[in-house]
Amino acid sequence: MSFISWQYALFLMAVFAVYWGVPHRGRLLLLLVSSYFFYGVWDVRFLALLATSTVIDYLCGQAIAGIRVSTGKVLALACTPLAWLGICAVTGVDGKIVKPSMLIMAGCLPVILLALYGGLWSLPEARRPKAFMLLSIGLNLGQLMFFKYFNFFADSAAHLLQTFGMNPNWTLLSIILPVGISFYTFQSIAYAVDIYRKKATPETDFLTFAAFLSFFPQLVAGPIERAKDLLTQFQKPAVWSDENFHRGLRLILIGLFKKVFVGDNCALLATYAFAKDTQLNAGWAVLGALAFAFQIYGDFSGYTDIARGSARLLGIQLNHNFHHPYFATGPSDFWQRWHITLSAWFRDYVYIPLGGNRQGNLITTRNLLLTMALAGLWHGAAWTFVIWGLYHGLLLVIYRSVPPLEKLELAQTGARKVLAILLMSVFTLIGWVIFRASSMEQVGQWFAALTMWHGTGVDWVKPFGWLALHAIPLILLQWATMKARDEVEMGLWPWPVRAIVYGVMFLAIATSSAGEQEFIYFQF
Amino acid sequence: MKRKLTAAFLLALFLLVGAEVVVRVFFARNMAGRFDYGYHPDAGFVEDGDKLKLVRAGGRRFFPQEMSKQPAAGTFRIFVVGDSVPRGPGLEKAYAFQLQEMLKAQGIKAEAFNLCVPGYGAQRKQIVLTKALEYQPSLVILHLNASNEYEDEREFKRGKEFDGWHPKNWLMKSLVIRRLHEAKTEKAFWHLLPTEVRQQGAPNDADAEIAAGKNDDTRKRWLEQVRQWTATSVQTANSKGVPLLLVSQAVCENMKDRTKPLDDQGLAAVAESFKTEGVYHLSMKDVLTGGDYAALYSDGSHMRPDGHKAVAEALARFMTTNGVVKSRH
Repeated sequence: MSFISWQYALFLMAVFAVYWGVPHRGRLLLLLVSSYFFYGVWDVRFLALLATSTVIDYLCGQAIAGIRVSTGKVLALACTPLAWLGICAVTGVDGKIVKPSMLIMAGCLPVILLALYGGLWSLPEARRPKAFMLLSIGLNLGQLMFFKYFNFFADSAAHLLQTFGMNPNWTLLSIILPVGISFYTFQSIAYAVDIYRKKATPETDFLTFAAFLSFFPQLVAGPIERAKDLLTQFQKPAVWSDENFHRGLRLILIGLFKKVFVGDNCALLATYAFAKDTQLNAGWAVLGALAFAFQIYGDFSGYTDIARGSARLLGIQLNHNFHHPYFATGPSDFWQRWHITLSAWFRDYVYIPLGGNRQGNLITTRNLLLTMALAGLWHGAAWTFVIWGLYHGLLLVIYRSVPPLEKLELAQTGARKVLAILLMSVFTLIGWVIFRASSMEQVGQWFAALTMWHGTGVDWVKPFGWLALHAIPLILLQWATMKARDEVEMGLWPWPVRAIVYGVMFLAIATSSAGEQEFIYFQF
Repeated sequence: MKRKLTAAFLLALFLLVGAEVVVRVFFARNMAGRFDYGYHPDAGFVEDGDKLKLVRAGGRRFFPQEMSKQPAAGTFRIFVVGDSVPRGPGLEKAYAFQLQEMLKAQGIKAEAFNLCVPGYGAQRKQIVLTKALEYQPSLVILHLNASNEYEDEREFKRGKEFDGWHPKNWLMKSLVIRRLHEAKTEKAFWHLLPTEVRQQGAPNDADAEIAAGKNDDTRKRWLEQVRQWTATSVQTANSKGVPLLLVSQAVCENMKDRTKPLDDQGLAAVAESFKTEGVYHLSMKDVLTGGDYAALYSDGSHMRPDGHKAVAEALARFMTTNGVVKSRH
């Protein structure tokens, strides 16, 4: 169910209406049911995967803290995915085919989980927490690796072997990527690690935990939340506040504006510029990169705002994910403004465990490149994403190593700050070209096109007008809320100004002439 | 509840609702049929006291004209209903006006009005004709053409795009939002984005029309649509006792090859099949063949003023020799 569909509008209104009329446990149950419904609209079969993650982390989370769950309960919980797939197979829900291999995998889960769970409890007490944390990480990453990366690695390995003269003739599997798997898997891993690090306490109530892990506003594309931030809000009854209500609606309006008006309309240009058979000239190369920059920002930041707004309506606060990223003065600043919860995740669970910046320049460089390459790979199973990650890693290394650049990034005011922003914007745009291109060959074509200012090709001057029409209102909104670092803070403006901005935003959304585009980050 | 609705929200709501009310009350005439794209029964016909004004509204780009609701006694009123071909390069250059002047020169008290709209196919012409019959014409000239059926179908779909009370259509029930959406599509989307961008993954509209026009089955279907709608038009005119003169279009497919005959695309046969008491037929092919017809066309279908003059002369001759004018006096 897309956030910009009329179905979501009705769904959210219905959840909102019931939510505030029932007691705390009723709300948790409502959130769980509505979240599973929300996710099931894409593909009911993958609810089994979500349930698997939930069961694994529920059990491992407690085990890390030394709480043992009875074997009967473990078995009952571990059978949930199998039971769900069984229901889908028997009833043929939504016309989706449940393959025997799915049933076999789900059938193996209780056996494996019981064996591992029992086995790890027999370990010495001191080793047990780490073992259960690794079990959680292993099983969650296992799911992610299989569904998202299996074919990528198999295909890459085949290509590698071919270069050595071998001819592996294995066939790739037909695997559907479950929506949002990268997001909830990372949230699950963070939960287990945080308990191990004693930064969070395990949740013993299954309903609360399941509602936390599947919370529909942030289930499919984040923000990636930590237990200490989100789970704690599920543990106590939400309290109605007018402020939450107003902010929630404002966030949804801003999110829709960013997604429908800015993102989707800029997508028309970006899609054309990066189409395989488009004859790029210099104008279109620049236009395509700029359009994609606004598309991806409008799309993802818009999604996040709608997610935050939806959660706010239910009295729950989600973390910020963006802070005016195109005003970043350097790569380090950029990653503190762009997809903040993912950056923080990689910082806390990859970069720092690798040693961070405490072991000399060489190790720091390695850590930065490795972390950013993994962050790139997280976005998608393609080498362009890995290279995009490495490119940003390299930028981080260069800015750390070249003192003038390091100083430039720290510029707070004046011309130096403007220069820093402009320079980083150019680097960001080049990064987006790598990110958006379907291959490195296309990246090469993009660079080659930059020299073709006098070539033939489709007119690019008027389309710049289209880009300006949709990007400038967003830039103005950002500029006006720069100090507050969040667009929702336009609530501080005089109310007549706000009224006009609301009206204009509403009309901009309602009259958008671009067709509905899928959220980019859903594929990650 | 008072605290839940902020002043800013209420003002925004007031402005939006206010704009809607203003449009519905004060711009009702302009907006009538605006989103029917020519399928509204009355759009473009505006009554003002005892006057009827033809205006550009509701997808009807009429040449602005004015007439009395009822013709003056003894005046022979002619309406020409058609597409861009009879509409002509200008009101006074089109054959409707030239016919009026020729009849006047013959001492006939005549008035002819041009009710032609570019891109109109047989179905939308029928809607215009039905409305026109309310203003007591002595004769309606219906110009048959088979090249606009594609537009008729497209505009029909466009008009129905937001029909129904499905939630996805709710916002478009607002005239303000619909008009802004239309303006953005037509003024920004169409003007700022090249065809290649607009038509990503979809066939270019113009290319699709050309491709459809080259398909024999599609052309047969279009001709059949013209036949069916013309039958309805004949029936409508007959029921009102108004004579109908069908002019069948002829196209000059190859302007350079002057030996190639004009092509009536089967329209003459269609028109002939309706000839009966009060229904006449004049073939453009018959009228123009013989002379240097290629010189009368500005492109394969549209005529230069001289072409319109030739058609007007033929019509004037036809009307007097067949007693069309006389029979009404």
